[in-house]
Amino acid sequence: MIRLLSTLLIGVSSGAIYSLMALALVLVWRSTRVVNFAQAGQAILSTYIGYEVLTHVNNFWIALLVATIAGACVGALVDVLLIRRLARVSGASANVRPVIATLGLLGLISSGVGLIWGNDLKRIATPVGTHGYTFGHTTIPFSPFNLLIVATAALVMAIFALIFQRTNLGLALRASAFAPETARLAGVRVDRTRTIGWAFAGAAGAVAGLMITPQSALAPNSMDLLLVLGFVAAVIGGLDSLIGAGIGGLILGIGLALILEYVSTSLAFPAAFIVLIIVLLIRPQGLLGKLRGRDA
Amino acid sequence: MHKAIVILRKRPTIFILAGLFFYLLSDHVDELRNFQGATAAVYLVAIASIVLLTGYSGQISLGHGAIMAVGGYAAVLSQKYWHFNLLLTFVAAVLAAAIFGAILGFAAARLSGPYLAGTTLALAVGLPSLADQFHFLGGEQGLAYNVPQPPMSLGADFTQYHWFFWITGSAALLMIWLTQNILGSRYGRQWRAMRSNPTAAALAGIHVGCSKVLAFTLSSGIAGLAGALMVLTLNLVTPSAFPLSLSFTIVTGAVLAGVGNLRGSIIGAVVLVAIPELSDSLATKLGGAERVSANLPGLITAVLLILTVLFFPEGPLRKRVKKTT
Repeated sequence: MIRLLSTLLIGVSSGAIYSLMALALVLVWRSTRVVNFAQAGQAILSTYIGYEVLTHVNNFWIALLVATIAGACVGALVDVLLIRRLARVSGASANVRPVIATLGLLGLISSGVGLIWGNDLKRIATPVGTHGYTFGHTTIPFSPFNLLIVATAALVMAIFALIFQRTNLGLALRASAFAPETARLAGVRVDRTRTIGWAFAGAAGAVAGLMITPQSALAPNSMDLLLVLGFVAAVIGGLDSLIGAGIGGLILGIGLALILEYVSTSLAFPAAFIVLIIVLLIRPQGLLGKLRGRDA
Repeated sequence: MHKAIVILRKRPTIFILAGLFFYLLSDHVDELRNFQGATAAVYLVAIASIVLLTGYSGQISLGHGAIMAVGGYAAVLSQKYWHFNLLLTFVAAVLAAAIFGAILGFAAARLSGPYLAGTTLALAVGLPSLADQFHFLGGEQGLAYNVPQPPMSLGADFTQYHWFFWITGSAALLMIWLTQNILGSRYGRQWRAMRSNPTAAALAGIHVGCSKVLAFTLSSGIAGLAGALMVLTLNLVTPSAFPLSLSFTIVTGAVLAGVGNLRGSIIGAVVLVAIPELSDSLATKLGGAERVSANLPGLITAVLLILTVLFFPEGPLRKRVKKTT
């Protein structure tokens, strides 16, 4: 019983990180109809910036704050410098081009980061303990740091939910995602709003990056797997839904934790891949997505 | 039967002449150039598989590196367990990758754009690491691939890389010739129709789903051959030979060539081989620090990719070739 419970808790903790990454992907997808493969690169860059701050001031919270702001700036820059230009070009390969451009950006950022910081693994110390909580005589793997991850992810989600549901900016973001032309006619500056969406996504990705790194290590391409799992989570939730991204991440995290604990450690990745295929074949709109054409 | 002959009759002479030219050339260049030639041949085949898939059928795959891994492992395993000779291992690689691609294609045919890209990306990230976890795949050390020595009749000073170049070069030429004929056939036309306008293509009697699966299968088969050829030039197969960056590299080559332009794939292959060489000399000039030499090739590739997408979205050759296709 305690084993099941601790597995579930670990699943929630890793699922929270997948949710953040999925959230970043969904934010961009909603506003621009692009799956931003460079999100992993943006997260890497912001995490390295956080790492750099950490080596100077040795305070995780300041590093987290700086990394989040940096992530937002990088996201906005990517939209202004690359994605907007791309949207102006049209032609036969118009639907392939954003995919390839964000892919190129991923390569650019990860090799650029390697050029600056080197390819060796960097480690980030955790701000809180990583020894599991003890109940009676058993110690479970769930540690204060895992709790911190869950709390941070929940906080980020809550902030986004507030912004999206309660502010004018959120209304503008939803409007320009839902119907850009109408929104433009209603006086929303769609391009600017879109850039803000990219900035939000960059910030969410940065938090995900800084939260996953203390448990593993930081290298120029250490977040490729996070990108893939975030994508799977986003697809489970239905690429369009912010709540779906959260739920999808949790489902994926718990599911993978259960498989790792009870079946085999070598099956986690194939399982995630098979889940992705099954979701896409049976319920392509995801759990919470609305059914509509998928050729965007 | 007649149809098959029609498919195969286009321009064999050019390819035979090109082959002769390269063979004569390979006698007069050094080891390194021969090895680079072999690598270019591998890239050429891999890029051709992307041109068929993305340029013609309009599907995108970021996971062709993983499919190359399937081909490479099939070649090595068929040699290890069934003692196939070189040619048969290539056939095994093509078949295994094509079967894998067909299964994947059934899922892929229902996906489009970013969904397909994300799914194949997941494949590229995950599949090679599977080899670490199964004992018979050799783990991280990988498995050796025995390439037979060059025949004695070629002379005693006929080097191994020279031999590699002959094998990969002929395989690549043969495959490009086949691919060009497939693309020029009714299937190529169907794919182009489907890419331009799926609805109109379906109304014209093209079974869009079947066409997509066929394209994915053929493309995977070609990628499988590329994987086997790559394993041949490396003499062994390891998971680390098929990193995510390999998939990106192939896509870059195809984009540089102008996706949808088979002739351009030669440019793509040559550029891909030139990038490491260029970045090596650049890195030496910059001081030769390890972090520079390790990351410069990736940086140059990525910059080229982004610039091409922004400024030559249809490839540098497109303007000239447009009229004829």
